[in-house]
Amino acid sequence: MMTMIGITLKGIFRDRVFQGIMVTACAFLLIPVIASLSMRQVTELSVTLSLSLISFILLLLSVFLGGTSLWKDIDRRYTFSVLGLPLSRQSYLLGRFCGTALFVMLSAAVLGAAAFAVVCYSSAIYPADRPIIWSTMALCILFDALKYILLIAVAFLLSTVSTSFFLPVFGTIAMFFAGGVAQQVHEYILSPASESISPVVRQIANGLYYLLPNFEAFDLKVNAIYGLPLPTGGLLLTLGYFFVYVTFLLSVSTAIFSRRELR
Amino acid sequence: MKTASTALICIVIYSFLMVPFTTYLHKKPFVEKLGYVPSVTALKIVSADHKELVAASLVLKVLMYFGGQVEKPESQIHIPPDYMAMSRMLHGAVKLDPYNMDAYYFAQSFLTWDVKQYKMANDLLAYGMKYRTWDWYLPFLAGFNHAYFLKDYGKAAEYYKRAGELSGSDLSRLLAGRYMQESGQTDLAIAYLSAMEKGERNPSVKKNFRLRMTAFQEVRRIEVARERYLAERGVAPPSLDVLVRDGMLVPPPKDPYGGEFYIGSDGRVSTTSKFAFAGAGRDTTSKESK
Repeated sequence: MMTMIGITLKGIFRDRVFQGIMVTACAFLLIPVIASLSMRQVTELSVTLSLSLISFILLLLSVFLGGTSLWKDIDRRYTFSVLGLPLSRQSYLLGRFCGTALFVMLSAAVLGAAAFAVVCYSSAIYPADRPIIWSTMALCILFDALKYILLIAVAFLLSTVSTSFFLPVFGTIAMFFAGGVAQQVHEYILSPASESISPVVRQIANGLYYLLPNFEAFDLKVNAIYGLPLPTGGLLLTLGYFFVYVTFLLSVSTAIFSRRELR
Repeated sequence: MKTASTALICIVIYSFLMVPFTTYLHKKPFVEKLGYVPSVTALKIVSADHKELVAASLVLKVLMYFGGQVEKPESQIHIPPDYMAMSRMLHGAVKLDPYNMDAYYFAQSFLTWDVKQYKMANDLLAYGMKYRTWDWYLPFLAGFNHAYFLKDYGKAAEYYKRAGELSGSDLSRLLAGRYMQESGQTDLAIAYLSAMEKGERNPSVKKNFRLRMTAFQEVRRIEVARERYLAERGVAPPSLDVLVRDGMLVPPPKDPYGGEFYIGSDGRVSTTSKFAFAGAGRDTTSKESK
């Protein structure tokens, strides 16, 4: 499996994805200029823009790397030659997943360093009213990366049942939006405002809430931007949720992939 | 060779064309518009985990629009700012990110002075205070609204006390004390505007505060002359012209908004512009009736 992780990472670097990220990361240079347009919260706006840029790049990575990785191998018949070697389908899939997840973590670390530099620069020029809590910002980036690793697991699951890239790519994008609003919809269903909705629809919405990945828990941007305290218990629960959900998705993916007829 | 020379010719023609082309675009008449923004519910779904970014971009959009309105370049077709659209957009921004200070601060500045929607401004500030519990600015602004615009001195003192506790600032405590009694309104407005102007970074908003402060300083000058006339002659001055003619008001007061100052029948100093460019020259009837 370690070999597969190495091959995946090498493949991503060979496709010049990292160079692409670095070019996109040039947008960090514009952040202090845009943030200076703010009236009262220049540093806060720098943090907002930096975190959003990281999140956007990681989203692109998870959708396109996660959604095309398996499908590309099957389409190019690469899987025939690899699976002919003494390597189980499970190790192949998990290796691919871990390699992609590792690359997302690496990108988050590099982009995070750039974000820290930008915020440092902005706060030196326009001192912030609120203290910048660097550890909160680091945790925000870490949890963002975890969220996109979870999304990659979703993309891998969709890849195992798909014969083209449409389902993994567009299905992952749809899942990203659905997972982002799942909490809001659930709260609306619980509120008195939803009394007019039929019980069947409410039951379906409730069922989907527990079935779909909940990305709201991974979003710590408000805490990082405004220096709000982090709930330790909540973070531990989110970590537990992440590990259980990813393990579940990967076990279903490997089960489907092991039974899949590759032609 | 042929294609290379064609490309070269195109580049040369393009370079020559760009100068008049950009000059034309620079002078082309335009109308500063805020444009359409979808409902907050839709924005919440589409913005996914970028709610803070979308909120900040809405605020910046309003700021750019307002900046364009204040600067008024020659080629701009001027129409009064669409304050209600600005308000809608800023309300949407705080629904997406209830911590965004720029939105509260800017909405407060035009909802009170320009649109006179004091309740809407205070409701927005109260909403912000639920989230920005550490921020002294929001109760400071709410205190000013209650005292200056709504004449609710008890509530104003309450807010200023809260602002003073949060900031440890002497200004807030001073204002809290002074608002307990109805006096020195113009001085307080000048003190408030001066504090706001000093802390402001955005050039358009800063210019707006400075302009309003200049107008209030002129009002204060007229009030001082009015008091002097009353002390010397024992009667209130019949009009502002009398103060100018008797040398009590040198140089004559000038409204930076383009209006004309006058002393009303109740003795209060007002201006035909109502402290807004849009109001300049439109309130002559009220002046004449006074």
